[in-house]
Amino acid sequence: MNSTATGSKKAHRRRAFSRADRTTLSAFVGVPLFFHLLLVWVPAFLTIVLSFTYWSGISISRIKFAGLANYKNIFFDTPAFWEAIQNNIIWLAWFAGIATPLGILLAYQIDRQIRGHKFYETAYYLPVVLSLAVTGIIWNFLLRPDGFVNGLLGRDIDNAISFFGNYHINIYVILTIASWRHIGYIMLLYLAGLKSVDMALREAASLDGATEWQTFKKVIFPAMKPVNVIVIVITIIESLRAFDIVYIIYGSSAGFPILGTLVFQNIAGEGASMKGAAYAVILFVLSIGPIIAYLRTTFKSDVQ
Amino acid sequence: MSIDVELQAAAIKYKNKQKVKDRFISAFIGIFAIAWIFPIVWTVWTSLRPYKDVRAHGVFSMPKTLNLQNYADAISRMDLPLYFWNTFAITVPAVFLTLFFGSLIAFVVSRYSFRWNVSLLLLFTAGNLLPAQLVFIPVFKMYITLGKAVGIPRLLYDSPWGVVLIHVAFQMGFATFVLSSYMKTVPKEISESAMVDGATVFTHYTKVMLPLLRPALASLGVLMTTWIYNDFFWALVLMSTDSKRPITSALGRLQGEFVTDYNLLAAGAVIAALPTLIVFFVLRKQFVSGLTLGSTKG
Amino acid sequence: MSEVTNGISRRSVLKGAAVGGLGLAAGGSLLAGCGSKATGPLAYGARSVDAGPTAQNKALIAAYTAKTKNEVKYNATESNAFQNNLSQYLQGTPDDTFEWMAGYRMQFFAEQGLLADLTDVWGAIGDQYADSYKIASTGLDGKQYFVPKSWYPWGMHFRKSMFKDLGLSADTVTNWDEFLKMLDGMKKKGLVGFAAGDKGGWEAMGTFDILNARINGYQFHVDLLAGREKWTDAKVLDVFTHWAQLIPYMNPNVLDLEWDGAMQLLLQKKAGSMLMGSWFGGNFKEQSQADYDDLSIIPFPEINPEHGRDTVDAPIDGWCVAANGTNNSGGSDFLKFAGDMEGVNATLAAKDANGALIPMTSANNGQDTSTYDAFQKEQMAVMDEAKYITQFLDRDTRPDFAGPVVGPAIQSWFKNPKDVNKIVDSLQAQWDALPPLA
Repeated sequence: MNSTATGSKKAHRRRAFSRADRTTLSAFVGVPLFFHLLLVWVPAFLTIVLSFTYWSGISISRIKFAGLANYKNIFFDTPAFWEAIQNNIIWLAWFAGIATPLGILLAYQIDRQIRGHKFYETAYYLPVVLSLAVTGIIWNFLLRPDGFVNGLLGRDIDNAISFFGNYHINIYVILTIASWRHIGYIMLLYLAGLKSVDMALREAASLDGATEWQTFKKVIFPAMKPVNVIVIVITIIESLRAFDIVYIIYGSSAGFPILGTLVFQNIAGEGASMKGAAYAVILFVLSIGPIIAYLRTTFKSDVQ
Repeated sequence: MSIDVELQAAAIKYKNKQKVKDRFISAFIGIFAIAWIFPIVWTVWTSLRPYKDVRAHGVFSMPKTLNLQNYADAISRMDLPLYFWNTFAITVPAVFLTLFFGSLIAFVVSRYSFRWNVSLLLLFTAGNLLPAQLVFIPVFKMYITLGKAVGIPRLLYDSPWGVVLIHVAFQMGFATFVLSSYMKTVPKEISESAMVDGATVFTHYTKVMLPLLRPALASLGVLMTTWIYNDFFWALVLMSTDSKRPITSALGRLQGEFVTDYNLLAAGAVIAALPTLIVFFVLRKQFVSGLTLGSTKG
Repeated sequence: MSEVTNGISRRSVLKGAAVGGLGLAAGGSLLAGCGSKATGPLAYGARSVDAGPTAQNKALIAAYTAKTKNEVKYNATESNAFQNNLSQYLQGTPDDTFEWMAGYRMQFFAEQGLLADLTDVWGAIGDQYADSYKIASTGLDGKQYFVPKSWYPWGMHFRKSMFKDLGLSADTVTNWDEFLKMLDGMKKKGLVGFAAGDKGGWEAMGTFDILNARINGYQFHVDLLAGREKWTDAKVLDVFTHWAQLIPYMNPNVLDLEWDGAMQLLLQKKAGSMLMGSWFGGNFKEQSQADYDDLSIIPFPEINPEHGRDTVDAPIDGWCVAANGTNNSGGSDFLKFAGDMEGVNATLAAKDANGALIPMTSANNGQDTSTYDAFQKEQMAVMDEAKYITQFLDRDTRPDFAGPVVGPAIQSWFKNPKDVNKIVDSLQAQWDALPPLA
């Protein structure tokens, strides 16, 4: 494919565009680019600038330069920030160490067409289709003080297990809910990738006496490189950007602080301050690393 | 000869061993699968029981009545047609524009070579991955400033179009990325012959590429529909009139209104989830391939 | 900025209303009806989707439309979503008149130029309200930006039937020792003594308010919230020490329950008492009239004899007119009607789904307190006893401090009460790190 690409590149270069073609091309690129820059990159840049100011988000004439004050405030005076970082890290570790591997494992097994694989695929994928608003409501039914699980354990509302309130367990409760969606998502991504891996390759390996694990490690995993990259990035980005599910369950209170909700709590509503912008920038800085790594891998061939 | 036989024997033995193992694996995955869908089943079950019944006899009591009354109530109290229409008015233009813009960029970067092709792709893809909260305040300010400047305060703020545009701006990145990967698999010769025939860039796009892109657009469209359908953040912060908000926000409203009547809430949740579930079951193939176009091709 | 004004305004807010009683009932409606057809259609923003308030609002709007022929568009948003979004709402395309709260939370937005001046409304209907309400409705510039609708006190709620079973009465729970004895008795009966929820992050602020006022007095409380006193003060630690004594009597899942979860404990007779604002009486009434009739309120007990029971949290709810609305004069006109006894009567006449009246303690002098039910009369009594009125922690201090700082701090105290020193240190540090008010 590479060779045809270079071949046609040469062919194109020789071609001079007519004026109409040039207009068309500029419009084709220009219009989408305009909206994308205007609504994504320009605001992102402005938020970075705003994170160095004091402002209530209302009257533009009242913006005041604050230097690093917002960041100092976050790093040195806000315990919720460190709690949030801790929670985001646990989130990432859980996703990377448990949820994502489980999704891959599932995909691998279902791809071998074990009995009932069609049903399993649907069952595991179902949660991904549901909106987070619905997901929050569903799990609330199960875990609230007078919900299913507490009922099953014979606990009344006054001595119910505090699934969302007890800080020893609530992160794992939230992670279970998040994994409920994440595992199916990863499974599906991987499953589609596996379908493109040559069956003959796998059978040959198994006949060679390789164990399943060896086959997976030596044959399948390397062949899945493009999917692996996507899976890794999704795992990291989703762990850092997590917001919806926590917002649905805790509202904008700090019942379970993570970076995503801290941004919202500080940037929207009555108590808006540019401390929220600073949180958003921290989130941005943390996620840009994996984004760049991902893009470099994906576009390596193009750059060459 | 004998080696062949041995190999075959080994293969059969391997297969038998594998069969037993597979049964275990299948059972294991099956148990989990049931646990997986249990929360959904429980919600549906809850939605079929009257609140009074549950309140009097407890959550685990044998149901005296099972009916669709909660659904009838939810439909009449949630103003469902209105909210579904709002969702429709946001999702359809957003998906259409996202695919359109994404295909334009993908078309240019994969068919014509300019120096900044890769940078362009990088820009769009990276933009897609930025956290939404990072852009929220400036976007909001832009919307109201523009509205005031042209004398139509609801031009973008508190208008479905504002929500559409922000979705398009974000999702365009993903569409571009996926579609350009897909286009790379379309042989260049097709394009070259079109150009030799003297087709303009415009006809090249409309007459040659678009028809070829159709399966990819369909898959991506299905995926985008469920993503945009499920969003509630932008509709919450960029709209002030509740009756303009999409169904996902209406669900939050239902949650606030019926703090105690979980059975009614369950019915509301099922109704709100239904369209995506239907889309998923009917267009399952497209959905799956939409998700993986970008990762397996190119 | 507004701390000083706030301090003053709190002092006597509502006092007059609570004592004032009938007053101008008869004369009121004559003054109203400034509604002219010229004001045209307008939009009303409600910050609740609950059945009770919705029925009241609709009744009020219907009465206004019948009188003035002005159409009113009704836009109701769930209260959390409304509050989280208020800043954007007011800057964008707000409804002409919308429901909000008195005090700091109103003054903040008035100061940002987002609320319309309602001085002329007060000129028309001001004599139907006690001075204290006017003060609570006044911005930092001395103009009025708010029209009060109703108020409710925060106090100890219990069920009469349960009190009787326990051999208790309001007279036997007047000071801290008696209070602890009461809780102990409830605990021995297997009840939750002090039902509490703080999942929403704001519910427990009411407990802090009242403990601080009882132990350290009104002035210290107001000064603390205005930043004139330090959170690291031993007096604040004393509040948490007292609070910690209540923990053994609380339900163990405080951080898992929102206010309605705590209410359920009382409703289901699993808890003996609950500190809460009386607004939830409406929810009891929705369950059944018997539940509502069983509900009772007394002032939080005395802790420090020096301060007795002289302070109460009694938030005022009401309306503002959004400066960015399309029809400011329409909004004002509506509020002239809504705040007038004629509008108040229309609101009070609304019925819930069961056909019963919805209990509301109006801010208007004209509301006939003789029609109050027993629970409302008790609320009046709680008000009457207090010398000082506060709004509520998140209405009495900076919004960028209350929600994002105090809320999480109290939640982390519930997680680990032993961390109290660390928590007050952090509260003070976060106060000190707040940006200067522009």
